Amino acid sequence: MYYRIIRGDLRAGKLITLTTLLFVTAAAMLVSLSAILTVNLAGAIDTLMTQAKTPHFMQMHSGELDRARLTAFAEQNGKVDEFQVLEFVNVENARIIIGGKSLADNVQDNGFSTQSSMFDYLLDLDGKAVIPADGELYVPIAYMKDGTAKTGDTAVIAGKEWTVAGFLRDSQMNSLLASSKRFLVSEHDYTAIQASGSTEYLIEFRLKELSMLGAFKNDYTSAGLEANGPSITYPLFKMLNAMSDGLMIAIILLVSLLVVAVAFMCIRFTLLATIERDTREIGVMKAIGLRVSDIKKLYLVKYAGIAALGCALGYALSLVFRGMLLDNIRLYMGGNEKASLTLLLGLGGAVLVFLAITGYVNRVLGRFRRISAAEAVRFGTTQDKSGGARQLRLSANRLLNTNIFLGVKDVLARKSLYVTMLAVIIIAAFVITVPRNLYNTIAAKSFITYMGVGNSDLRLDIQQTDNIAAKAAEVTAVMEKDPSISRYAVLTTESFTVLKEDGAEERIKIELGDHSVFPVKYAKGRAPDAGHEIALSVMNADELGKQTGDVITLKSGGQSLNLTVCGIYSDVTNGGKTAKAAFASQAADVMWSVIYAELVDKTLTGGIAEKYADRFSFAKVSGVDEYVAQTFGPTISSVGTASRVAIVMMLLISVLVTVLFMRLLVAKDRYPIAVMKSLGFTNADLRVQYFARAAAVLAAGIVLGTILANTLGERLAGALIGSFGAASFEFVADPLAAYLFSPLMLACPVLIATIIGTSGTGHITISGHIKE
Amino acid sequence: MKKIIAADHIDKAFGQGIERRKVLNGVSVSISGGEFVSVMGPSGSGKSSLLFAVSGMDTVDGGQVLFDGRELGALKENELADLRRTQMGFVFQQPTLMKNMNLLDNIILPSLRDNRRNVKAITEKARQLMSKTGIAGLEKRDITQVSGGQLQRAGICRALMSSPQILFGDEPTGALNQEAAEGIMSLFADINETGTAVMLVTHDARIAARTGRILFMCDGQIVSELRLPKFRGTELEGRMEQVVTRMRELGI
Repeated sequence: MYYRIIRGDLRAGKLITLTTLLFVTAAAMLVSLSAILTVNLAGAIDTLMTQAKTPHFMQMHSGELDRARLTAFAEQNGKVDEFQVLEFVNVENARIIIGGKSLADNVQDNGFSTQSSMFDYLLDLDGKAVIPADGELYVPIAYMKDGTAKTGDTAVIAGKEWTVAGFLRDSQMNSLLASSKRFLVSEHDYTAIQASGSTEYLIEFRLKELSMLGAFKNDYTSAGLEANGPSITYPLFKMLNAMSDGLMIAIILLVSLLVVAVAFMCIRFTLLATIERDTREIGVMKAIGLRVSDIKKLYLVKYAGIAALGCALGYALSLVFRGMLLDNIRLYMGGNEKASLTLLLGLGGAVLVFLAITGYVNRVLGRFRRISAAEAVRFGTTQDKSGGARQLRLSANRLLNTNIFLGVKDVLARKSLYVTMLAVIIIAAFVITVPRNLYNTIAAKSFITYMGVGNSDLRLDIQQTDNIAAKAAEVTAVMEKDPSISRYAVLTTESFTVLKEDGAEERIKIELGDHSVFPVKYAKGRAPDAGHEIALSVMNADELGKQTGDVITLKSGGQSLNLTVCGIYSDVTNGGKTAKAAFASQAADVMWSVIYAELVDKTLTGGIAEKYADRFSFAKVSGVDEYVAQTFGPTISSVGTASRVAIVMMLLISVLVTVLFMRLLVAKDRYPIAVMKSLGFTNADLRVQYFARAAAVLAAGIVLGTILANTLGERLAGALIGSFGAASFEFVADPLAAYLFSPLMLACPVLIATIIGTSGTGHITISGHIKE
Repeated sequence: MKKIIAADHIDKAFGQGIERRKVLNGVSVSISGGEFVSVMGPSGSGKSSLLFAVSGMDTVDGGQVLFDGRELGALKENELADLRRTQMGFVFQQPTLMKNMNLLDNIILPSLRDNRRNVKAITEKARQLMSKTGIAGLEKRDITQVSGGQLQRAGICRALMSSPQILFGDEPTGALNQEAAEGIMSLFADINETGTAVMLVTHDARIAARTGRILFMCDGQIVSELRLPKFRGTELEGRMEQVVTRMRELGI
């Protein structure tokens, strides 16, 4: 019996069995891989952070530093276990030349430091805290990965020569998401280079217990210690390290979910077709007193077999491919010791897929309960309830061709049957449209308004240098006389302390200057113009719990200053936390200055940018288009890639599901098909009917999917972009692409798949199905 | 009368290898216009296979079938479909009506394939047939809302929509009680009166006795034939006697 059923099944659907096996294998492989990767990543991060003794709390600071006061604070604070201040010399990228190429185009802040003596070690690739000899330079691992440097290269920094002796892992700044990178040199060399850049301090603490972190942070802030720069904590370091590989794992998991869903659909379709085919026999088995569970077992065996084989194959494949995906983790974070545990968890992942599949099969087979023995024996097919669409009468139809009418009516009459295909089409339309619209939106020029940048042509950044204010003045003096520049504005960012409602203090960066020259788009309110007004970025407004009209208290040079929130705007730069104000600052350290300019002739942007870059070597000059391309170029191109991958995946899945579904439908409908044929309907007529069914489902699916994409999808994309600090997000869609090409792109393959899937109608004989 | 069907030495087998079983073994038969023919025989004797073969619903392995002078084996799938739709009518044991459609829609379904513009005329014809077959007023009923006999009548209406030359019935009364069966048989007789040939497959002597020509089948061959005068509605017992006697002689 087992053998007969399995053999019959395999013979009836070699293709579908193979497809199911393929998807189960892929699902098992992906789930197993993500389990292996997760364990490895977590283990590797732990190992790295333990070996490196990563600080629990770090405050970056530029400017004056009162070492004695800090030491006193650390000694008095009971939570501190170890304390140190590391120095870090920021050198302009243009002055760093490795292997003959400068890092001028690099987006990272590159700096130099010496090996720490207590904790926060910079490790070589063997996990040891390396101490370079004079003339030796250790380079961040990221530059090995991207080919910027290799061992033995000569490096020239601020005119002095080094040899690249090796590469290092930095438990703080390894990730490309950390915007700074540390190079390692000897104590002696460090002293030589110190004058060539600006010194920043890393004030670092290791606590007795990591759980004291929150309380310690408050202690530090309320002590009013050095805080001109961001502060970063141990969990954040951990997250930064986990981010890029974690994202890969998340994507693999998402894809594996999708693959499991497709495997489920394959199984569902085959099973339903099998049940249709065997209804009479199942009825007989029930009639002679077999239990449903006994009958289920007969069918379960085949799928348990496929699932077992697929999961075993998938696990084996995951072992083959894991090396490839682990390379990155190994390179950035080093090996992970618990190899056997990872293998076990990988196996666990595969077993999970196996259980999910057999469980699902068992559930679908629950339909056996609904097969009435009498009905099955008598009719040979399951009798589904005829419902709905009664108002659609053939005798009242004047509009549609009869075959098309029959197709549409069938869809409406048996809605529950078509729901699966409809769902797939809706998802496909949604998944095709959302990334595409997202891509169009962030690639559009108008996206700059989400970046807290006004619409200007030229941008000069002055940072990591001393006397920023004077340098900015130097530039504006030239601009004032330059006839090619129609207007300009200097915006200077300074750091202030905000008093929160609960009395706690928080550092906030405020961009000071005239914001009416190049206004950004305000989600609420308007630009600050009077001295007592401030505009907040969406994220800052959220964090401080402020609305327009609320009052915010700043501490500035020992005095407190009350400002009214006049506007809230979107900003995805600087972690999304910025503010804009127009008051004149008396004190404070200028962190950086940006000069925006509008040109009389925008086509000359490149030349003018070059002219200013040559003249003011301390400033980073870029055309705004170029700035956007540099900042968001990789994101835009990866969203573009993701959108293309999504399109291909969704088309494949829709085609596959359509073929399977149509085959199931033909198998289920063989009796009415035979009747139709006996009435004189040709194969072509029947194909038109099925085509009309697919077209009806497709049309509904595409319309619903597109609507969902533009409502829910827009909100989702908005939430995603919002998490970087943009508000009131709206898709910029290319209507022709979104409403014509995308639907066509989905419709054509699906309709072709329908033709392929319904080719079986030709093989259904009248005599085979209605002869008594 | 002109010959509608002329089957010449037709063979038909099902299955493969050692499971192969011949269901028609060199059968020759012809049916003329206006004839009322029934085919009798035990289960598996090939009655239904003969009906499916001469109506072109199934292909034959050997021999040939001429329908109205055209060889069915030489016709393309679409030509066969056209022939079925315009020249033949079919009634099966289970009323093969479409779910999700009311009786009227079921009846007009095949006619609408070619003539959508004449919905009105077609609907009118269907109403007339329904009233003639005694199911007037049931137009809007679902197929689950009427009796088996009424369903079968609707099936007959559908078969008659194209005014076919011949009406085929494969055990059309098999699923009905005696009263309903007799009503249906009277209907067939009425249809035959109007000149339409009727060919029924049955294993019921009471049904066969109402027809004018009875073909007896056994093991894939026509083993005997009985011709009876036109049934006037009164001499059923005597005609049945003749049929049963012949069956006994044949050992079937």
